[in-house]
Amino acid sequence: MNIGELVLVAIESIKSNKLRSFLTTLGIVIGIAAVIAVVGIGQGGRAMLMTEMEKFGTNLFGLWVNYRDGESFRIDDLSINDISVIKENVPQVKYLAPVTYNQMPLRGSKGQKTVQVIGTTAEYAQIRNLEMAWGRFIRDDDAAVGRRIIVLDEKTAVKLFGPGNPVGKRVMIMSNSAVVVGVIKSDSSMLGFNSQQVAYMPWSFLCRLTDWKVIHELQGSAESKEEVETAMNLAKKILERRHNAPNHYYAYSMEQEMQSANKVTGIMTLVIGCIAGISLLVGGIGVMNIMLVSVTERTREIGIRMALGARRKDILIQFIIESIVLCLLGGFIGIIIGYGGALLVAKLAKWPPLVSVWTVVLAVGFSMAVGLFFGIYPANKASKMDPIEALRRD
Amino acid sequence: MIKISKLSKTYSTGTFTVPALKGISLEIEPGEFVAITGASGSGKSTMMNLLGLLDRPSAGSYILDGMDVSNLDDNEYASLRNRKIGFVFQAFNLLPRLTALKNVELSMLYAGIKLEERRKRAVEGLTLLGLEDRLHHFPNELSGGQNQRVAIARALANQPAIILADEPTGALDSQTGLEIMSIFQELNRHGTTVVLVTHELNIAQHSRRILRMADGLLVADEEVTHPLDAREELQALREKGAEA
Ligand SMILES: Nc1ncnc2c1ncn2[C@@H]1O[C@H](COP(=O)(O)OP(=O)(O)OP(=O)(O)O)[C@@H](O)[C@H]1O
Ligand SMILES: [Mg+2]
Repeated sequence: MNIGELVLVAIESIKSNKLRSFLTTLGIVIGIAAVIAVVGIGQGGRAMLMTEMEKFGTNLFGLWVNYRDGESFRIDDLSINDISVIKENVPQVKYLAPVTYNQMPLRGSKGQKTVQVIGTTAEYAQIRNLEMAWGRFIRDDDAAVGRRIIVLDEKTAVKLFGPGNPVGKRVMIMSNSAVVVGVIKSDSSMLGFNSQQVAYMPWSFLCRLTDWKVIHELQGSAESKEEVETAMNLAKKILERRHNAPNHYYAYSMEQEMQSANKVTGIMTLVIGCIAGISLLVGGIGVMNIMLVSVTERTREIGIRMALGARRKDILIQFIIESIVLCLLGGFIGIIIGYGGALLVAKLAKWPPLVSVWTVVLAVGFSMAVGLFFGIYPANKASKMDPIEALRRD
Repeated sequence: MIKISKLSKTYSTGTFTVPALKGISLEIEPGEFVAITGASGSGKSTMMNLLGLLDRPSAGSYILDGMDVSNLDDNEYASLRNRKIGFVFQAFNLLPRLTALKNVELSMLYAGIKLEERRKRAVEGLTLLGLEDRLHHFPNELSGGQNQRVAIARALANQPAIILADEPTGALDSQTGLEIMSIFQELNRHGTTVVLVTHELNIAQHSRRILRMADGLLVADEEVTHPLDAREELQALREKGAEA
């Protein structure tokens, strides 16, 4: 009796009691569906997060002042001269720009809105991969000539001027005014990094408006992903030396952020996946339970098969295969349902559904293993039956 | 074909033991048609189980088809049951969820015969027993006599050396019983060895040798000089039915 024949026997027997077979394997269906959905959603979410973060540029790094207990804010912690010194001394730094934040009410011809205004320089556009919808970004000569200009993002532009190209129009900022020179494409990011409405103006202009020469942060990008680490550490050292303030600065890179985000989402997927895996285990116990009932119910069948010449091994394998086929069946249904679930969530959340081949292979392997493991005991019980006893049962 | 000597079987149920067979010696030649009769509890089924290698004797020896089977293991028993013995039971013992065809295929399945060949032989066997238009029926869609014929087709599928039938007509009315007996007689005419258990003397009269058991012992071994012919009896019954 070869395995192929026994598989047919098992399928026959599963087919002959469809409802019970389905109920038996329901636990596996749910378990596998849960695992696939969780892992698929998790992996999709992670991929989404990563592409979002990559949009900022993987070479990105930033330098902050690291205020410790008792330290108070000093206006000269970061100075505009630091930038040129760093760029001269650290070849790994490709771009470096000052960043100063300020909430300001902007008024246009069609409306007004208080937005986050970022005072910076031309290089900021390269560092953050900003794309222009209209016009241009801040240029190096803007600061030199002291131009009173502003760059809006699309949402703000619509709010202030309505739809259409607002380049050349005037924005009122309290009692001052600035000319719109460009509009940045609003990012459709769902992570919220860019969804805040922002406007940009030359750092020197912002300082003049607020009458306050402060830099909150330096943002830069390295020549390559590999050099980010060196670039930001060297830059930090220079700041410490120039301001004679060891450990006063804090450096971060997008690369680090991505790694930790990767780790967090990975651990989360693993934890939820484990919980889903436990439900698979429960499903397996369910299969064993019904298989045991089925073995008892089919005692007479077992006796008949033995009388007709089935060896104990044939009976054993028949029931194990039955259990495996049942679980595989449940596994396949589960994969379809789980994938559907992941697809649905992905669609709602607008991120790519990611059910990798490996997840599917693992799910199939796992349901087979569950079938094997939880099938052995009932199958063994079946094969140990005494043919006469079994035949006498009704 | 069969040679047993001093075969005994004792069942032990916890505290006390039941001697079901108390040393039976017997020889059955190829081509014989033997009926075993006796009161209920006399050990007929026990005897059949031992002859059919479904059970092991407590003592004694058993030579089947020239082979001493006393010391074989479970796997060899299974294989001998499969190849040498065809069982027919009182309760038919068909698998309820399989069609007639699949039921007949079952014993060939365990003989390792390929699907195509199995199918072909099962159809042939069922056709021979007049069930060619019932191939795809399930046991609960068939009459008792038809079910027993399916069971006989299954028992014959592997061309066994011997047919062992324990009360094959016990669950059937007398006419259907006669039909089954005529099949056995026909098989026997073509050389198949048949051993059947019955407590109906009338049924036993169709065999050519009657073994009588009592209390686990063989008490009589008689030749039937003029066995009844089931085919003729059926013919007569039909004529009577036609007259009435
Ligand atoms: N598994 C068993 N355990 C204990 N005793 C048993 C077992 N099987 C049979 N016996 C006993 O062995 C004796 C013979 O039983 P057996 O079934 O062979 O009788 P039988 O001649 O076939 O009877 P019947 O005509 O009613 O079928 C009986 O006394 C019975 O109680
Ligand atoms: Mg009996």
